Amino acid sequence: MTQLSLSAAINSGLRRALADDPKVVLLGEDIGKLGGVFRVTDGLQNEFGPERVIDTPLAEAGIMGTAVGLAFRGYRPVVEIQFDGFIYPAFDQIVAQVAKLHYRTGGNVKMPITIRVPYGGAIGAVEHHSESPEAYFAHTAGLRVVSCSNPQDAHTMIRQAISSDDPVLFFEPKRRYWVKGEVSEDISGAPSMESAHVVHEGTDVTLAAYGPLVITARDAALAAAEEGISVEVIDLRSLSPVDFATVEASVRKTGRLVITHEAQQSGGLGAEVAASITERCFFYLEAAPARVTGFDVPYPAAKLEEHFLPDLDRILDAVDRVMGRQNSLTGWSA
Amino acid sequence: MLRSTPVSDDRTTTDFDLLGHPEDLVQLLTPTGERVADPAYDEWVSDVSDEQLASLYEDMVVARRLDTEATALQRQGQLGLWPPLLGQEAAQIGSARVLRSDDFVFSSYRENGVAYVRGADLTDMVRVWRGVGHSGWNPYEIGMATPAVIIGAQTLHATGYAIGCKHDGVDSVAITYFGDGATSQGDVNEAMVFAASFKAPVVFFCQNNQWAISEPVGLQAARPIADRAPGFGIPSMRVDGNDVLAVMAVTRVALDRARRGEGPTFIEAVTYRMGPHTTSDDPSRYVDPEVEAAWAAKDPIIRLQRLLESNGLFTDELQASVTAKADAVAREMRDGCHSLDAPEALTVFDHVYTTPHSGLERQKSQYAAYLAGFEGSAS
Amino acid sequence: MVVKEFAMPDLGEGLTESELVSWNIAVGDTIELNQVIAEVETAKALVQLPSPFAGKVSKLFVEPGTTVQVGAPIIAVEVEGGEPSAEPAPPSESVEGQSQEGGERNSVLVGYGPSVEGTGRPKRRSRAAAAASAATPEPTSVPEPGRERPRSTPPVRKLAADLGVDLTTVTGTGQDGLITREDVVAHSGRVEASVPSAAQTRPGQREREVRTPIKGVRKHTAAAMVSSAFTAPHVSEFLTIDVTPTVELLDSIKSNRAFSGHRINILTVVAKAVCIAIERNPTVNSHWDDAAGEIVQFGYVNLGIAAATPRGLIVPNIKDADQLDLIGLAGALTSLTEEARAGTTSPADLGGGTFSITNIGVFGIDAGTPILNPGEAAILAMGAIRRQPWEHQGEVALRSVMTLSLSFDHRLVDGEQGSRFLADVGAILSNPGMALTMV
Repeated sequence: MTQLSLSAAINSGLRRALADDPKVVLLGEDIGKLGGVFRVTDGLQNEFGPERVIDTPLAEAGIMGTAVGLAFRGYRPVVEIQFDGFIYPAFDQIVAQVAKLHYRTGGNVKMPITIRVPYGGAIGAVEHHSESPEAYFAHTAGLRVVSCSNPQDAHTMIRQAISSDDPVLFFEPKRRYWVKGEVSEDISGAPSMESAHVVHEGTDVTLAAYGPLVITARDAALAAAEEGISVEVIDLRSLSPVDFATVEASVRKTGRLVITHEAQQSGGLGAEVAASITERCFFYLEAAPARVTGFDVPYPAAKLEEHFLPDLDRILDAVDRVMGRQNSLTGWSA
Repeated sequence: MLRSTPVSDDRTTTDFDLLGHPEDLVQLLTPTGERVADPAYDEWVSDVSDEQLASLYEDMVVARRLDTEATALQRQGQLGLWPPLLGQEAAQIGSARVLRSDDFVFSSYRENGVAYVRGADLTDMVRVWRGVGHSGWNPYEIGMATPAVIIGAQTLHATGYAIGCKHDGVDSVAITYFGDGATSQGDVNEAMVFAASFKAPVVFFCQNNQWAISEPVGLQAARPIADRAPGFGIPSMRVDGNDVLAVMAVTRVALDRARRGEGPTFIEAVTYRMGPHTTSDDPSRYVDPEVEAAWAAKDPIIRLQRLLESNGLFTDELQASVTAKADAVAREMRDGCHSLDAPEALTVFDHVYTTPHSGLERQKSQYAAYLAGFEGSAS
Repeated sequence: MVVKEFAMPDLGEGLTESELVSWNIAVGDTIELNQVIAEVETAKALVQLPSPFAGKVSKLFVEPGTTVQVGAPIIAVEVEGGEPSAEPAPPSESVEGQSQEGGERNSVLVGYGPSVEGTGRPKRRSRAAAAASAATPEPTSVPEPGRERPRSTPPVRKLAADLGVDLTTVTGTGQDGLITREDVVAHSGRVEASVPSAAQTRPGQREREVRTPIKGVRKHTAAAMVSSAFTAPHVSEFLTIDVTPTVELLDSIKSNRAFSGHRINILTVVAKAVCIAIERNPTVNSHWDDAAGEIVQFGYVNLGIAAATPRGLIVPNIKDADQLDLIGLAGALTSLTEEARAGTTSPADLGGGTFSITNIGVFGIDAGTPILNPGEAAILAMGAIRRQPWEHQGEVALRSVMTLSLSFDHRLVDGEQGSRFLADVGAILSNPGMALTMV
């Protein structure tokens, strides 16, 4: 066990994957010599050579389509999209090809491609560098989508994603890259990539989050405890599929659900979780599920991002609402 | 079963300057069936025997016959759609016949002539068009990927595959077929960037059949398409796509370059789409009948027939056996088409993932229960 | 030799009809497979139709120039033998409930574009006979039982909160133990069950408290009371009258041979007076049907009489009491009382009442504010008859005095209507002869 930052934990996971399977190849812009703009691939090209850690031209569709071809040839490509906002040129290859090839070929051709995407805001960046596009991919049949929130999960899940024979969108919360935590490289007993984790137990409200907001959710739970509200925090970890069984067990206990994500509200993962849990837990609900999300605006300029991103106060405001307490959302018609 | 005309080993392009003649049209067989000389390319087909010529003729006749049979099946309501290759037989047969079994094809939806040469089962060839599945055959069985419907996407796949071959240390080649319209797509251009940067052993085979549905090639390219590739650092050749011998020659050149580690090559095969874009299209709305007539005079099968005739090879026996072969293949396709039933309802959930996905499993079991509630539900 | 038909196919991406422009063949011609037999014009193009059969043309169904629906037969051909391979199997048959065809007809591929609609009414697919029921075999793992909240619906939870009911103490009677609205209503007012410690009672002492489970008649009555009390706005009015003339009437009836064997008493007279007064003031004999959004005015009187039984309070009613004469009413009241005491009142007698009387006078009580029998508009409580100083012919005299207490549902009955009704009953009881003016 060592203390590693989240980005270093991914780095060590990639290193293990490259060492364990000669068919694993990394592709991406600036991942080789530079080691990646966030240093997530630091040192890997030195160790494994330019044919295993490949610096690519500046062309996301090109990178993704080439990865498809490599997968056809039996390789296990791990593609890096440098920033969330740049994934759109690759969207066609991801959605029309990567997601569908296994289905289209009746199972004959596999696409064991991992697509790594640093995502999310709160880094004071310029446009297109703080997006949360995970909903587009969770909506696409044939893809698996996950997001780690802490260094151990980052290490475990990148290795699981690479070993999966399915294509996996691996969303890395860039604002948490520098957060440190204990990481063990022994992942033999690790829970499945599909599973959600209860990271803080409670009895009054279920608070579901993923990626960058898990830490925020946990902070909100600690603050709520001081007011006598017991919040159970769940790190969803997997967005396609969502581990509804875990969330359901929690809501059967608490009767109240709050979901939070940075991505815009309309059509986001919060809507999916709210609808599914309402279907499954209707007879246990004390209040309608509440969502705390980014507003339906393009991600704003750095000086305004605090007014876009969910924070502890907005989350607790929603907790108040589902608890039936006086809150600033009172009077809102949904 | 791959139908192949392999080249003997002692060919080389070491001294060959390809970048100098992109605007020239490589031709070895005129529209009237005369064999003309081109010193740079003659040697690449000097091994083609009379039997092989007859075999090439047969393949082209069969390809055309498959096309007309499939069109009839569509008109009879047995297929939803068919994209004919009428007029492009030489481009497809000529290039496909010189591939090795360990080469891999990434094509568009129009390359049914190539599929035939690669050994695709006739029933598999119509599966997609009948709507019973998205894919006709297992790509790994015939070394040909499921044809791409997204225009141009396959060029990147071929490039990635070729890079993989190179990493594996084998001299297999990836060949990608696409049309003139496809060259406008970003993916095709990105593929050339990647192919050149990584010196991938890939052959870009563009069939310029003059049309992208109703848009003429002039809308896609202000200069000959073959001119683009050198801009990416990829040598190119422009060939008379209706000349099966010339097509064979240039394809062999490209394959040889790739196998020897020289990287990608671009081929523009100039041909003509003599049929509609698909069976849903009506070319009479945009095609000038005079232009069409002019191209009919350059028909790829007729010119080879003329060559066979002048060589005394176009015997009654040959005609009879070719006709019989074409009839048999057409019959096999027709019978295979009729035999394809709609898949079972719950197979709609198959093969989305390689391992169970909890959300999808739930949907499937709920739908199964729903279906079971109806009268006459099959078990 | 078998005759096969070829139907107009969908020629491209969802076309529903085409025009048959011309035939290239005629009846009697021998044709080959794929031979062009017709030219057809679609919205997109003029196309040639190749024959799917080889054989002899036996019938042409369509005149040139006619528009044909996709799926309609256009030609019949006599075909050699019955080769299975010449029988095109429609690929979508097993999937959709798409109708049709006996084996000979050439089916149309409907995998492309909108399917050909039938011309009948839109209908649902018919369900399997054995209702395979709602059990969906879900593969989801059942979460650890652990601590789960009681199961109910959000509106019922709100009701429980409003009534102060703790759902964890309620037993649900809905599907799978779901707590229903009725469960909450019935439960409200229930005392928390806790086990009394035996050591609290010293031998020889009176029990400090006795607990009886709430069930049966009392439970039902309680629910009815709650339901009535909290649904209808009750108004009570009182009328104290000198009923001496009625008392004298009853005495004379007792010694009248025509009435021997029949028990005519004050209750009988009140019952009769009520029936007469209802005729004149019908609103007290109505019903508020909330669900239907209607007020039901009854044209008959099913007169309920509140009866105390060992098992609790019940209100059996006399059907069509307004049709009975005094003797009939007396008989009905007698049987009703006997059955109530014996506990043999039938459920039919307990339902369908339109107006109720409660005789609190038997307990020596003067007046009260009775609660309506749920679903009824009014209830009359009759008090005891007392000898009291009263005004009589201008002087104070001892008279038989009785108080009538009327409660009514103010949604249905106005103050004036209620008052007039009560006044009418009082008028009859204080001067039975007045009944002559009221019928």
